[in-house]
Amino acid sequence: MQPRRQPPPAPRSGPGNPRPTAPLLALLLLLAPVVAPAVSRGAEDPAQPQDAGVRRRLLQQAARAALHFFNFRAGSPSALRVLAEVQEGRAWMNPKEGCKVDVVFSTERYKPESLLQEGEGRLGKCSARVVFKNQKPRPAINVTCTRLIEKKKRQQEDYLLYKQMKQLKNPLEIVSIPDNHGHIDPYLRPIWDLAFLGSSYVMWEMTTQVSHYYLAQLTSVRQWKTNDDTIDFDYTVLLHELSTQEIIPCHIHLVWYPGKPLKVKYHCQELQTPEEASGTEEGSAVPTELSNF
Amino acid sequence: MQGTPAGGTSPGPSPMDRQTLLVFSLILAAALGQMNFTGDQVLRVLAKDEKQLSLLRDLEGLKPQKVDFWRGPARPSLPVDMRVPFSELKYIKAYLESHGLAYSIMIKDIQVLLDEEREAMAKSRRLERSTSSFSYSSYHTLEEIYSWIDNFVTEHSDIVSKIQIGNSFENRSILVLKFSTGGSRHPAIWIDTGIHSREWITHATGIWTANKIVSDYGKDRVLTDILKAMDIFIELVTNPDGFAFTHSMNRLWRKNKSIRPGIFCIGVDLNRNWKSGFGGNGSNSNPCSETYHGPSPQSEPEVAAIVNFITAHGNFKALISIHSYSQMLMYPYGRSLEPVSNQRELYDLAKDAVEALYKVHGIEYFFGSISTTLYVASGITVDWAYDSGIKYAFSFELRDTGRYGFLLPATQIIPTAQETWMALRTIMEHTLNHPY
Repeated sequence: MQPRRQPPPAPRSGPGNPRPTAPLLALLLLLAPVVAPAVSRGAEDPAQPQDAGVRRRLLQQAARAALHFFNFRAGSPSALRVLAEVQEGRAWMNPKEGCKVDVVFSTERYKPESLLQEGEGRLGKCSARVVFKNQKPRPAINVTCTRLIEKKKRQQEDYLLYKQMKQLKNPLEIVSIPDNHGHIDPYLRPIWDLAFLGSSYVMWEMTTQVSHYYLAQLTSVRQWKTNDDTIDFDYTVLLHELSTQEIIPCHIHLVWYPGKPLKVKYHCQELQTPEEASGTEEGSAVPTELSNF
Repeated sequence: MQGTPAGGTSPGPSPMDRQTLLVFSLILAAALGQMNFTGDQVLRVLAKDEKQLSLLRDLEGLKPQKVDFWRGPARPSLPVDMRVPFSELKYIKAYLESHGLAYSIMIKDIQVLLDEEREAMAKSRRLERSTSSFSYSSYHTLEEIYSWIDNFVTEHSDIVSKIQIGNSFENRSILVLKFSTGGSRHPAIWIDTGIHSREWITHATGIWTANKIVSDYGKDRVLTDILKAMDIFIELVTNPDGFAFTHSMNRLWRKNKSIRPGIFCIGVDLNRNWKSGFGGNGSNSNPCSETYHGPSPQSEPEVAAIVNFITAHGNFKALISIHSYSQMLMYPYGRSLEPVSNQRELYDLAKDAVEALYKVHGIEYFFGSISTTLYVASGITVDWAYDSGIKYAFSFELRDTGRYGFLLPATQIIPTAQETWMALRTIMEHTLNHPY
């Protein structure tokens, strides 16, 4: 896979100054904080748009990475958040540490079938420091967010979800969620939420400065067994990586109980090289161990 | 009664398995005089070892017969598929469970599946005979779209015509709709959707847009002025082979379906196959990659068809290529950070278009050059268009920003199309008012 080259360090230029000064041997990428106006999501200074565009993208991606981490750490399938808007941020780059980003952003609840495109109007606010370590995955993240849902309500919703999972027929049928038309059956929603939670961990761990992941589809829930009181399930997701446009199948196994930290193990498929794609390979991985409760 | 084994090795019932099922069952039903399979299930069992395998073989030998193997017990680790009549389900499941045999339900009710398949097949034969009953708020198959095109052209033959500009790798027609109020070789605007087949919202938006044009002609002053002076061309299914594949086998397929001897991965990224910075950063020489640029510029028939058509026409003034997702409106270049010569103009136009879009449903789009807004990508449509002299070259990334991604719910088709239309209209109006 071809590595995506870094954009060249931007020449310094203040706002309203169309002519760039001599480019520095820059260790600093940018200093000016960004305020993104609601509608004009374009370059601040069109004569040097590459600065603003690259900066904005970096802040967005840092915010998303922070949210993957936050969602995983919160460990609550009822309290998942998605990015609403980046509000401000700045970034530093140095050869030793890598790329450090401070970003402030708003979030909303992740509710796939919410009627309002922009969510329910309740916006939480987060601030994060994200450090991408020189092309290595698993960025170091420090993130705090204001509360979006009452703790008690969250616990209740988690417990309700837990009970719904417990009541699902066992063994589970293999289905695609969402279906090919983007629809999620309400009966299957708890599975999806829990799968999204587990996938957040995987996506955080795989994120680098250039690789950013989205959860495209859940393609199978292979086996769901109860092991004492915890929920223990295996599933396969398709992750979409934006810069390469690749679809990456990942097999994930998670163990969850409301209020307890989430345990996740996973294996994602590598991109095939022409030599490996012999055409007679077996299809997607089937777990070698299956057991009924 | 031995069943025919279902094809494929994938764990879930693939469409090919389902076809096999249908055919098998229909033959069976015919032979046995309309059997009913209500409540019958197909179970998939994974035997861990020979001992478990022989337990399964024992089932086979039961008299009266309780299961019907579609994929018989062969080796451990290969799935065993068996049809279990409704009356025997309880017994068989208890048998499996008591012997520790893991199983999953592949098909919950065969009769339901049969009925669905039959309905779907009948539906596909019953293609609509007019566009008034066509649902603009659903996703459609290739056959449905091509059928709609024929009806649409018939109903609006005063300003719409259909042109075949070539054939895809698998020999499907590549079709373009031409909107024209006459004249010869008016300056023209090009719009394409579906160059990446998994981006279903783009085809759906294109279809709605085509209908919007004929509806608003004569009513919307801006559109009417545009059409009086210019022609509009819309290629709805720019990658028909890929699109068919997203319906039949792989919903997330992106590339075309070209095959080359000795190369085991299929398909070229049609948006990396253009003759502009071909093979550069942001495209891949690995045929297994999603951004594989192909062996040479324009090597793909789907791209060559457009290049030939636009070049032969010689009077295109704007080109708009529509993708999803990310909510962005962008202009060249994708291949480098170098700004185009009329960057300021394109920046301002994109800004206006995005504001017009926002006013419809409050959806926010980023805008800027492709390389700075999205990522560096080489050999792309709009770079080629710009280098060919088309000053107003834009690329859209429609809804959403990742919540659903490619699997955008059909309920968002019309809102997306409505807002996108306002942006398209802005760009077309500017093109009209700035002849060159």
